[in-house]
Amino acid sequence: MVALARKTLVYEWRRFLPAIVAVCFAGLLQLLQAALVLGIFGSASVYITGSSADLWAGYPGTQSVNLGRSIDNDVEMRMLMDPAISRVEPFHWVDADWRGPSDNGGVSVFVSGIDPRPDGLMFSLALSPELRQRLNEPNAVVVDRADLSSLGVNVGDSAIINGRRVQVVGVGSGLRALGGVNVVASLATARDLDTDSTNAGRMTYFVAKLHNPADARTVAKRLRGAASFGPYDVWTARNFARRSKMYWMLDTGAGAAVLFLAGIVFLVGAAITSQTLVAAVVGSVREYATLNALGVGVGALRKVVLEQAFWVGALGLLGSLGLGGVLFLLARSYNVPVAFSPVVIVACVVLILGLAVVSGLAAMRSLRRADPATLLR
Amino acid sequence: MPSSTSLQARSVSKAFTTGKLRSAVLQDLSLDVGAGELTLISGPSGCGKSTLLSILSGLQRPDQGDVNALGQDLGELNTRELERFRLHHTGFVFQGFNLFPALNALEQVALPLSYLGLTDAEARRRAANSLEEVGLGPRMGLRPSELSGGEKQRVAIARALAKEPELLFADEPTSALDAANGQIVIDILHRIARTHGTTVLCVTHDPRLVGHADRVLTMEDGRILSDHRPAIAAGPSGDDIKETSA
Repeated sequence: MVALARKTLVYEWRRFLPAIVAVCFAGLLQLLQAALVLGIFGSASVYITGSSADLWAGYPGTQSVNLGRSIDNDVEMRMLMDPAISRVEPFHWVDADWRGPSDNGGVSVFVSGIDPRPDGLMFSLALSPELRQRLNEPNAVVVDRADLSSLGVNVGDSAIINGRRVQVVGVGSGLRALGGVNVVASLATARDLDTDSTNAGRMTYFVAKLHNPADARTVAKRLRGAASFGPYDVWTARNFARRSKMYWMLDTGAGAAVLFLAGIVFLVGAAITSQTLVAAVVGSVREYATLNALGVGVGALRKVVLEQAFWVGALGLLGSLGLGGVLFLLARSYNVPVAFSPVVIVACVVLILGLAVVSGLAAMRSLRRADPATLLR
Repeated sequence: MPSSTSLQARSVSKAFTTGKLRSAVLQDLSLDVGAGELTLISGPSGCGKSTLLSILSGLQRPDQGDVNALGQDLGELNTRELERFRLHHTGFVFQGFNLFPALNALEQVALPLSYLGLTDAEARRRAANSLEEVGLGPRMGLRPSELSGGEKQRVAIARALAKEPELLFADEPTSALDAANGQIVIDILHRIARTHGTTVLCVTHDPRLVGHADRVLTMEDGRILSDHRPAIAAGPSGDDIKETSA
């Protein structure tokens, strides 16, 4: 079989170049959109994904990590009693106001009070043991490198949180939050900064590590429902992270706007790609009509067109992935919140290839103009 | 010389509607075309000869009347069956060559053959033979951009011929060519009719071709005006006629 589709693509590459470029940019848009969505909304659950806890205990119905109310301290006991649990740690959440050395307007910060021991669960993936050690100093705080400018400080400077003086002893990365600036402190420091009297003697969350992480769902179920400890609920880390992300994506205006934009971007990419591909295919209408006159069926012609559409899609995607990788690294270096996941990349690739193939099918409809009778005009 | 009828039209009518205007292109036309000879349909532009060709070859259906090709009533076939009929029994040559720019001559000719179920090797062998027959043996590795107009039309003829069709339809095959190349092409078509026994039906408004056909039908306004056989003085090549009339 003469490889008509491939040979035409190679020899007449100039005719197909606009379509390949269109697919490349449509794919690039999709990949970067996805990376941004994952990055931005991923930071909603940075407290969970940056830590190594398997279970989280918090106030029932908490929609997102930053919206927790305090629970009874004895919940820690309840958790420690369960044989499947190897360790429990408190996590103290404080909504606070930050005043930096320069006199500008207030900055809303989220103070995360954590156990600074070197093998602590909270932020184990985001803070080095050395930074954790420094948190033991009184009134010490750690912030994300990228937030230094919005907080108006450098390492070593002091500032005021909720009226108390604190000192920035170090910076980490992977601490950026959604909706405010994250400040990490020890439990002792956080307790001093918490000006809400209803939180006295209570804790926002208890996080736990299991001997066998695979048991998370069973253990969570088992730990629920002990009414004598006051209102509390237990979730697996994965579940709570997803819930927090979904809350930001679907229940806030920001999320709806980003998702809407992602949808529009896809439609625009789809429209441009399909039009350019149709234009490239239509250039061969007379030759296809001749083949049809010679008795080659429309089904066989369709296969040629679909093969071309597939190759155009594949070549364009190669460009998308290459350019996407470069731009991803560039964004990272500028602290733009981007993240990727292999599943999402595969989904984008499949989506764009599907788009190319569907465009090929649309081009087939124009092949109805390949009615051989029109050749005789 | 009487030849068996391979193509027959009975009371064929066709009209085209553009907007509200209905114009009759063919009016109650009947025709028999014989095998083993080159039949020419000549006439001015707009007389309906191309429409007649498309109806006789199964590319279009008439509004009224029947077409019988090789004993098969084309009106009884659906689209797919018509495509199969064309694949196995007909070849086409068009004014505009319609070759794929990316394929060389051998590939152009082999392409339709692969849909006939031939192996790649067999398809290439038959394609090479066809190209030899039209005199393009040494140039089969070239692409259309490297061939002259006459050579491209010969590739198109080889492509139609390689399928070994019983019916060969040519629509204005020489109108895009100069006199010398046009003569070569019409001589090839004539030779194919005689040596392969193919029914060759050629439509043209080029008066130079009249002397090269076995039978000439003239058309005007959708009807056949005359049907005659020019006195054949030509030998194997058209050069004899040229010299006699010069």
